[in-house]
Amino acid sequence: MSARAGDAPERPPSHRLRFAVGLLVASALAVGVGYRLLDGALAQGARSAEDRRANVAIRALAEVVDRAGVTGDAVRAAVAAWAKDHPQQAAIKVVAFDGLSLEASTDPADTGDEAAPRRLRREEKDLYDRGQRLRAAVETNRAEGASRKDEVERARLADGSLSIAAPLEKDGAVVGLVQVQRRPPPPVKPPSWLTALSYVAVPVAVFLLAGLVVGERRAVLGVLAVVLLAGTVWGYGAQSAAKLERGRRAVEEGIAGIVRDEGAKASAILASLSLPAEPPLDPARWDADAFRRPYGVVRSDGSVDEAKVAASAARDRTAVRNALLLVGGVSLAVLLFVGLGGASAFVRTVRTNRVAYTYVLPAMAGMVVLVFFPFLYGIAISFTDSTIYNTNAPLTDIWVGFKNYVSILSDFHVATRDADGTLVFNYLNFYWTLWVTVAWTVTNVTIGVTVGLFLALVLNTKGLALKPVYRVLLILPWAMPNYITALIWKGMFHQQFGVVNQVIQIFGGSPVSWFETPFTSFLTALATNGWLSFPFMMVVSLGALQSIPSDLYEAARVDGASRWQQFTGITLPSLKPALVPAIILSVVWTFNMFNIIYLVTQGEPGGSTEILITQAYKFAFEKYRYGYAAAYSTVIFGILVVYGTFQNRVTRATEGI
Amino acid sequence: MKLTPRLSLAAVAALAASLAAPALAQKEIVVWHAYRAEEKAALEKVVAAYNQANAAKGIKVTTLAVPYDAFADKITAAVPRGKGPDVFIYAQDRLGGWIEAGNTVEPIDFFLDKATKDRFIPTTMEAMTYRGTVWGLPLDYKVITMIYNKKLVPVPPKTSKELVAVARKLTDKKAGRFGLAYSYSDYYYHAALQNGFGGRVFDPGPKPVLNAPENVKAMELLMRWLDTDGILPAEPSTALITSLFNDGRAAIVFSGPWFLGEIAKGIDYALAPLPTLDEAGGKPMRPWMTVEGVFVTAQSKNKDAAYDFAKVLTDTPAARVMALEGRQTPANKAVYDDPAVAKDPILSAFRKQVEVAIPMPNLPEMTMVWSPATTAMNTIVKKSATPKAALDAAEKAVLRDVAGLRKR
Repeated sequence: MSARAGDAPERPPSHRLRFAVGLLVASALAVGVGYRLLDGALAQGARSAEDRRANVAIRALAEVVDRAGVTGDAVRAAVAAWAKDHPQQAAIKVVAFDGLSLEASTDPADTGDEAAPRRLRREEKDLYDRGQRLRAAVETNRAEGASRKDEVERARLADGSLSIAAPLEKDGAVVGLVQVQRRPPPPVKPPSWLTALSYVAVPVAVFLLAGLVVGERRAVLGVLAVVLLAGTVWGYGAQSAAKLERGRRAVEEGIAGIVRDEGAKASAILASLSLPAEPPLDPARWDADAFRRPYGVVRSDGSVDEAKVAASAARDRTAVRNALLLVGGVSLAVLLFVGLGGASAFVRTVRTNRVAYTYVLPAMAGMVVLVFFPFLYGIAISFTDSTIYNTNAPLTDIWVGFKNYVSILSDFHVATRDADGTLVFNYLNFYWTLWVTVAWTVTNVTIGVTVGLFLALVLNTKGLALKPVYRVLLILPWAMPNYITALIWKGMFHQQFGVVNQVIQIFGGSPVSWFETPFTSFLTALATNGWLSFPFMMVVSLGALQSIPSDLYEAARVDGASRWQQFTGITLPSLKPALVPAIILSVVWTFNMFNIIYLVTQGEPGGSTEILITQAYKFAFEKYRYGYAAAYSTVIFGILVVYGTFQNRVTRATEGI
Repeated sequence: MKLTPRLSLAAVAALAASLAAPALAQKEIVVWHAYRAEEKAALEKVVAAYNQANAAKGIKVTTLAVPYDAFADKITAAVPRGKGPDVFIYAQDRLGGWIEAGNTVEPIDFFLDKATKDRFIPTTMEAMTYRGTVWGLPLDYKVITMIYNKKLVPVPPKTSKELVAVARKLTDKKAGRFGLAYSYSDYYYHAALQNGFGGRVFDPGPKPVLNAPENVKAMELLMRWLDTDGILPAEPSTALITSLFNDGRAAIVFSGPWFLGEIAKGIDYALAPLPTLDEAGGKPMRPWMTVEGVFVTAQSKNKDAAYDFAKVLTDTPAARVMALEGRQTPANKAVYDDPAVAKDPILSAFRKQVEVAIPMPNLPEMTMVWSPATTAMNTIVKKSATPKAALDAAEKAVLRDVAGLRKR
């Protein structure tokens, strides 16, 4: 619609129409997204309430089965009694690992020949594996003194019902599992769409009516539209927040009731089967997370801890507010884009240059899939705590914000003083590595340019015999795969058998242990990369040298200029347009020259000669901290962006020559 | 691209098979491995025999050789998304990582009966176990042993004292001759010495203890060999050791089966178990071993059939083919009773060595140990720090990295 409004350039555009369409689209977007979020939050709330109810139930059952001894008739009696009390549970199974035995089951399929106790069948492998997973989780958490692996496992089946499993313990060891399959909970009522619709319709209607009064005054119309949009976003947000809070309170009350109820039922079963009642049951501990850490919302006496509820309600409100700000910001941008004529201008360009856009489209699609998506995904990972332990977790679960960046950039402990006053460098520190990288880049490019230019000048001598042979020989280092060259150089720096030390010994020196100190180790990498980088500079300079017209030199000679004056006055300025881009390019190459460092110094000693890119590699593939490594790489990218901007300026400055 | 002809061949073969047996529902088990040359040929021979035996059941195993460099990453990326094989063969060092990431390797405890469990060398079974659950069947192992030049060392030393005595006699540093040469500053090789002293990387459980007192003692013995006895070359890269041994300038080398292919034609060599350590009360040196396992993937559609194939692949007849034709050292115990295997000097030497070997830890935390351990080894052999101080520093670094990984 807005396109049509902008399609007739001869007519002045209608601001009223544009803002009305903008307001409609923006508020529909805001309310639509808000509706989805609310729907999602309600469903999530219902799921987590069901999870907690199921958790209380299975912990109560596990407690009873533990006390019944995990195996034997007492277990079957306890399970039967418990099942009678809990019609909400569709099937209960108890498995003891020893002898792969199904100790008890209320599954209708497990009757007659299949009745418990019996050995597990091949199809029931998953049940056994689930138990082993829980055992490993309990042992892992114990050994690490942490809560990393789920000790109570939940799985949601296709029909929305919950299958939950808890470990059974005997004398502190996990010896089996109890699994409960619950009936599907009643479906959640979605939020009213009529209410949502009214939050779109009312402001648009108000705007249209007001538009009749205001007329085509753009500023007033704009302010009015923004105010109405803000009202919509705030109103729908506040209403959603209130709804969520009511739900939260109802859930907490309900859980407290279930905890009291389960406690009473469990005690009754223990008493009726004369199972040990000591130590006394503590039902409040059953309302716990997947690591069996109590939430603490329900107190031991069965009452609700109001402070805890208020805290979680406050967390909900913060989440709603953040969502509101985000949605409001995006919809405001949409409103302004449409209202101020951006949308119509965009549609117009697409229409005019239709053919051009069609041609570009395949390349754009390729770029999006192959370049932009991986790039953005990498940046997204950098905001998470992604490690080898949670590669399959959704990014939102492991989101940590700027934490990785802060820990990389805010650590300034580059050096500390030892007890005896000597400086000790922390080679893992970002700023140390950055300093090494910068030193590495600057020295390498300097060596490359100096040696390359010198050799180019020599090769450019008129009448030099065998010139093509020299040229080929000098390009050879560049033609060889650089990892082979790197390994050869590494061998040459061997303490006893390396050729470098043997030459030193011929001249009466004592052999150097090259990889022992940061400086000598750095020199080995520098020598290797210098060897690899001069041919490129030489080729570039040689080409530029040959394109300098010889009459310039003749004129200079006639004017009596010396060789040095000719070099600084003619040769260098003429080389500049070719050399500056080559230098810029080689700075980027050297900055990220992974192979040489990785193969020659390997960061020795102690990571002191690591450059940023090899350090990022080590974080990702040796320490498995993917999030941290992604943040590291993003910082490297940031540095190169800054450098690139600078480079653009310099290139523009050289264009005139 | 390279695969195209093979893929089309496979397609033709599949088509032919389906035409030949139209009534049978084909169950295809895809196996990924990283074998080349004779190992690959041996595996394919075993698979062909299996396919022939199971054609009636409609089971067909197809193998795919995946380049070793990309193998582990391919498994990590493809298997959890259901794009991977049914079975794959790989060493145990990445096992812990795959299990922690989940959805990659299928636990086989449930399938495993006692008879199957008992047919393997116990320590190889241990390598397949993570947090008390068995995840694969061991196929073969690789372990470091003593390889010596028979011309220089007629009788292999049995104890560390004998070793030092022999090596000192054969060492002439100026001429570049050494009695003993091995990658002692590589933590993997050094572990043989460390384990001999009863040292370890992890205390039972996942807690790193790089600076355990036994580890320090092992390091001190290494320094004695290097410094006081002077029987070892400086900066021992694998390339250097190979060339020293091939030039007859290194009499004894500690290395694994991968070294045998590098030995020059003219060198008359033999294998013997690593010496016992007089400094550790006569206990043997205990090298780390890597165990290649056959793993069933969590996403396989035919786990039963896949496990059945894994069982056959690790059984004695298959192990015999893998040993004699593939030149592998199988994890299967019974195969070493076979006369052809028993009289093979190389296979029986590794079998003897594996008796005292310890499986390399399969915990994912192990990857975080290598870099600090290498740093420690280098500073110690360069005498920039005492063994104790360097190992303390390494322990601190590992603890920090592990904490960075485990926090939640």
